[in-house]
Amino acid sequence: MTARRLNRREALLAAAGGAGALLLTGCGSPRRPAADGSTLASTWVDPGTGQLQVGPGEPLRARVELGPARPVGAALARIAHLTDAHVLDASSPARVPFLARFGPPLQSTFRPQETLTVQVLAGAVHAIRAFAPELVIEGGDLVDNNQANELAHALTVLAGGTVHPGSGPDGYDGVQLSSDPDPFYYRPDIDAPRHPGLLRAAVAPLSVPGLDRPWVPVLGDHDALVAGELVPTPVTRALAVGDRALWQPPPHLHLPAGFRLNPSGSPDGPPDPRFVAAFLAQALAGPTVTVGADPTRAELAFTVADRLTAAAAGPGRPSPTVGGRLDGVRDIGAAVRLVVLDVTRRDGGSGGLVVPGQPAWLAEQLAAAGDRWVIVVTHQPLAGSTEGGERLLEVMDRFPRVVACLAGHTHRNRIAARPSPAGGYWMITTSSLIDFPQQSRALVLSETSGGGVVLDTWMLDHVDDGALGSVSRQLANLDAQGGRPFRFAGTPRDRNVRLFRRAVA
Amino acid sequence: MSATPGGGSRGRRRRFGDALRMLARSPRRALFTAAGVLLAAAMLSAAVVITDGLGGGFARASARADLGDLIIRFDPESARTVAAKLAALPDVSGFALRSEITSVGVRFGAHRSGTAVAEVLGPGRRQGFAVVAGHRLPAGGAPDVLVETAWAQAWGIAIGDELDVRGLGPERVVGYAEGPDDVGYPLGAPRFYLTRAQLVARFGIPTVGPVNFAEVWLRDPRLVDEVLVQARDESYGLRGLKFSTRAGVQVLISQAAGLVIDLLVALSVIALVTAAVMLGAAARAEVQRRLRSIGIRRALGAGRWALAAGQGLEVALVAVPAATVGTLAGFLATHGASGRLLSLLNEPAPGAGLILPLLGSWALSVAVPVLGAAWPAWRVTRGPVIGLLRGTDVATSRPRFPWPARGGGGLTGLGVRLVAARPARLVATVAMLASSTAFILLMIALAGTLSSLETDPQELGKRYELTAAAPAAAAARIARLPGVAAAEPRYELTAVDAYELGELVDVVAYPRQLSRFEAPPLAAGRRPHGADQAEVGVGLADALGLAPGSALLLELPSGRQLDLRVSGTVNSLAYEGLVAYLPAAVLLRADPAAPEQIAVLLAPRASTATVSAEMRRIGFPPTLTAGAVARGAPLVAVLTTILRAVAVLDGLVCLYALLQACALTVQERRSTVAVLRACGASPGAIARLLSGAVVTLIAPAAALGVLAEAWLLGPALARLAAGYASLDLAPTRVDVLAVLAGLALAGAIAVWAVTRRALAEPVLAGLAR
Amino acid sequence: MAVIEARGLVKAVGTGRAARRVLSGVNLSVDAGEVVAVLGRSGSGKSTLLHLLGGLDPPDEGEITIAGERLTGARARAQDRIRLGHIGFVFQQFQLIDELSGRENVLVPTRLPGAPAGGVRRAEALIDELGLRAVAAHRPHELSGGEQQRFAIARALVNDPEVILADEPTGSLDAANGATVLELLAHMTGRAVLLVTHEPEAAAIADRVLTLEDGELVGAGAGAQRR
Repeated sequence: MTARRLNRREALLAAAGGAGALLLTGCGSPRRPAADGSTLASTWVDPGTGQLQVGPGEPLRARVELGPARPVGAALARIAHLTDAHVLDASSPARVPFLARFGPPLQSTFRPQETLTVQVLAGAVHAIRAFAPELVIEGGDLVDNNQANELAHALTVLAGGTVHPGSGPDGYDGVQLSSDPDPFYYRPDIDAPRHPGLLRAAVAPLSVPGLDRPWVPVLGDHDALVAGELVPTPVTRALAVGDRALWQPPPHLHLPAGFRLNPSGSPDGPPDPRFVAAFLAQALAGPTVTVGADPTRAELAFTVADRLTAAAAGPGRPSPTVGGRLDGVRDIGAAVRLVVLDVTRRDGGSGGLVVPGQPAWLAEQLAAAGDRWVIVVTHQPLAGSTEGGERLLEVMDRFPRVVACLAGHTHRNRIAARPSPAGGYWMITTSSLIDFPQQSRALVLSETSGGGVVLDTWMLDHVDDGALGSVSRQLANLDAQGGRPFRFAGTPRDRNVRLFRRAVA
Repeated sequence: MSATPGGGSRGRRRRFGDALRMLARSPRRALFTAAGVLLAAAMLSAAVVITDGLGGGFARASARADLGDLIIRFDPESARTVAAKLAALPDVSGFALRSEITSVGVRFGAHRSGTAVAEVLGPGRRQGFAVVAGHRLPAGGAPDVLVETAWAQAWGIAIGDELDVRGLGPERVVGYAEGPDDVGYPLGAPRFYLTRAQLVARFGIPTVGPVNFAEVWLRDPRLVDEVLVQARDESYGLRGLKFSTRAGVQVLISQAAGLVIDLLVALSVIALVTAAVMLGAAARAEVQRRLRSIGIRRALGAGRWALAAGQGLEVALVAVPAATVGTLAGFLATHGASGRLLSLLNEPAPGAGLILPLLGSWALSVAVPVLGAAWPAWRVTRGPVIGLLRGTDVATSRPRFPWPARGGGGLTGLGVRLVAARPARLVATVAMLASSTAFILLMIALAGTLSSLETDPQELGKRYELTAAAPAAAAARIARLPGVAAAEPRYELTAVDAYELGELVDVVAYPRQLSRFEAPPLAAGRRPHGADQAEVGVGLADALGLAPGSALLLELPSGRQLDLRVSGTVNSLAYEGLVAYLPAAVLLRADPAAPEQIAVLLAPRASTATVSAEMRRIGFPPTLTAGAVARGAPLVAVLTTILRAVAVLDGLVCLYALLQACALTVQERRSTVAVLRACGASPGAIARLLSGAVVTLIAPAAALGVLAEAWLLGPALARLAAGYASLDLAPTRVDVLAVLAGLALAGAIAVWAVTRRALAEPVLAGLAR
Repeated sequence: MAVIEARGLVKAVGTGRAARRVLSGVNLSVDAGEVVAVLGRSGSGKSTLLHLLGGLDPPDEGEITIAGERLTGARARAQDRIRLGHIGFVFQQFQLIDELSGRENVLVPTRLPGAPAGGVRRAEALIDELGLRAVAAHRPHELSGGEQQRFAIARALVNDPEVILADEPTGSLDAANGATVLELLAHMTGRAVLLVTHEPEAAAIADRVLTLEDGELVGAGAGAQRR
């Protein structure tokens, strides 16, 4: 937006430089991203300028904290972990996007790339199909705001079909329109990097092939709670299907008593839902904007769990939820068992909560697993994000066949070894699809000589035939409140690794 | 005349000797050529000094100072908070924080100022300014400062002197600094630098304190817009935010100088082409004159190359010393003033960087005449030798302009006939003279306009000279006063952005004709062309992320909101670019009580004093618009000096062109003159004949020149400057008459001089040809 | 009555080492109606003599009177006036102005300030007389040598001068054209014609033939015809 007048010298230098650059690009082969999204073949690298470039693949590094490296034998299970897609209805009135300008921990209420979540999920599905796992774990926070249309879109992507990502009469009617004078939102028609027509393209119908293989759902906070925090109330329900939206910050917006901006807060907002409720109350008292109403935006509350189970089970199969909870077990082949724990709070708040009886149930399942290797899956990590998580970890510490504990929620790639007297296991979290690096995880469990196992894992970038996925990834990388400054991508030791686990003693 | 084929040092010496002898034979001609080359060389070197020196000034300054790619100013905020926000931005390779304190009182000897700016620097080597003399600020708490070079020069502050700063006491000046992000004193406020460490040591304040200025360096400066977007998105909580990019700073700083550079370069090119054409024509005529002798030498066996080289060598013997003197002259005429201008802009002089370009311009000044002499000789020897010996060069068509049967015309008519008999030559010469005429007219108009131009950097873009505190209804009365071109109501008030960024925005509105009264240069988009449209300053655009098509929401003092669409952004220096221009209807709808005044645009060359008196008489005393002219006066003075130097050079070039053209015309008519003298023509008759010839050249040249300036050059340059200032470059009657008189005088001088020469030559010599 | 009167003419040409006297005290007088031919080798100074008589070159010593008016010592303006009114030149190289037509060339002397009245009438008459009407509108390079020289003669006559000075008038012409030109020169009624040539045939039309040798004019016998 600042004009530059080239003087004669600069024009000559630019011409010379341009010619030189053309020559240089002629030499050397331009790299292309891997067609299957595997980061073993190629990665997306930021050379420090904010612009992503295709870089070399990252080979697997061996991690031997839990057992020595051994020759690898037969593969036992091939799993994909896809988590925190946050499929989002950006036109929904039941959102408080103006909170994002306060910074952490409220920054997730608006993201520049939030209109492109369906496309990114479709791209992740594409990469996972290329990986061809036996089972896909949908790790939670599949949707962002507990809305029916968000869930419908997400499930269509996973099942296959045609998705119409927009909502309301206009497809998109939200804070990123160029007619919005608020300078704190990224408006793709105006703000750099400019993408004219992005908002229209984002709601264009999309045909997707679907996962085409079994998948198992995990319940996340955003799946069941409004903004991942609030149990739906009459106010929020009315807002969701109504025609009043809260785009503009209320005048003299102030932080509720006791609330502190936390630079290292979880991207999922403050743990105490009362703060979000307080902001919402202020917002409702301030100026609102009229938008088109859409009944498909209805909030689902915890019925979302049933829908998830039904969708994952496939047509014709009974839905085995127990009391509306998504705890469950799934076997993969003869050698591996998956134990899914539902620690999402039913009374609001984004953190996890271990309910009474859960540790005992876990112990039962681990005992019943016998000789199978076990992978435990939750949405919120048990260490640090889950109240009572230590108890579950203590249970797992006792069982020698637990290989890994998988989670999402933090949007961060992280792998830590948890040693235990029984042999220890790997604590793995996978990044989200909404924040940079927008990756899923491939996992292959194999035998090693000597009776141990090795869990090979590497990241999968979403791939697409069109450009919207790349735009989303680029915007996510530029975001000063997103995955790049918070280093969600982790270190190489958190990404493409061979995790050795010694044999059971 | 020897025609020794082959080379060897003997051959070379012989050729050298031949060339010298040819020159000695016609010293006047040699001097004339030398004068032409000298002027062209001076022209060229002046253009080099100006373009390379002034044009490259900002680039040199920002490279030397390591100027940041992004400069952000804001209301004081904790350094930790700001650092955290900057660290999260993409593409950042480094940043420096400082506290900029304005309205500091300083004293040095008899000099005093209450508007100095203290830059309190944080830690770090990269700071965005260059230390050009003395040494950097030490790390400890000693009371040392760096002062800006331009300020030091203006007040005579030497390194080692003590500057008295109110609140700090005596501070020792340890060096000079130049920061290209602002202009130097007296164009800007006096500026000095000191470290926070010094204040910590002396006053015990915390090491890390509030800052209000961040300089940011980017890995890839082309992505500055993306970084700006992220910076704004992160900036909630920071107030009074102002962004400026390196490119934006360059535009603002160079605006006034940029105008001059563009003008001077354009003018130099015109004059240079004129000089080149002229030298080429002279060389061609020279060759024509020597056709027979060239033919004889060809007949004797001289090669084409040797002949062409001989011609070239002759001219080279003249051109080399002339070009050397001319190059030096052009350099001396302009480098002092351009150096002063650079200093005012906080930019370094090119120094040794000019050597190579000047050498290049010298080489060009030699090469063009030499080639211009050798080439016709080469070409003319293309045909059979016998053609050369016959010395034919006559147009073969029927007479186009028959001599009238009775009386009419007489000798003057004959003179006209003689020149008109070669239409191609006539057209080329007239074109050349016309361009010189247009050019001189342009210089006169420009000099007149520039000296009356208000070039206070704050006021560029404002075209009205007076304002009066009067109701809108008075505008029609004021517009009817003599000397007033237009008068309109003007509304102005201060609004605030609706998103609590703390941006104070100046809102300016006119009922219509916004661009006539106030039109800062357009940076992007278009002028407002519909209701609810506004154009905004670049400063506001950067602060709020506006671009053509954006929505803008402002809060007025009345409490109402202004809902606008941005049609374009403008480089307005007023109010640091935090300004919005819109139609009065829109503003008045939101705030019917908006403060109003009448803006008065004067007719070209009307006197402010006269019109002011008139306005006082009818009860509306006016105020002058640009009250702070003093700030811009040094800039105007320097610009005028440069322009004057160039004007003189260019004027001389044009005079030379005229004399050359006349001399050539006569030279080719010597045999005719001789015949007439043999027939008994008196000197007066000869003068009449030559006058006819000269008038044939001058009259159409004058007419074409005036038209070219009025219709082509003037409007083109005015358009070029339109962004910066209102330039009225149409020639006035007085200007035109003056130039015509000058042309006539020059023509008369040419006729007189050439007649004298023609008469001095024996009749026989003319007949012998 | 002597129209051309010259006494004691001395002239040296060349500079420095190449300087030599071509005329060493030449006396000459020509009456109206007389045709005088001056013969001599090339370089003998006969053209120089003509130039002195025409006021194109000042003598080092001596006096010249043309039609009763003193030429030597007169101011330049007076000399021009004498040339304009009393002398007509005919050159070997014709010396016509290329840009003008034949007719316009004839008119040139009539345009000069101080020219006697009636020049146009005389010009038209001369063009007819000399048989040049058909080619009057042509430019010199479109004319034959003979035609060019006849135009030159018409030009020399247009102001009705008392004196005609012809410098090698047939030097650039073939025999036929040359004879025509000589005829014209021989029949210039009432004018003093001084003809400089190196061709004896040209001298044949003269009433008197003089020879220039070693800077002195030597009278020869009378020519073949005498008016």
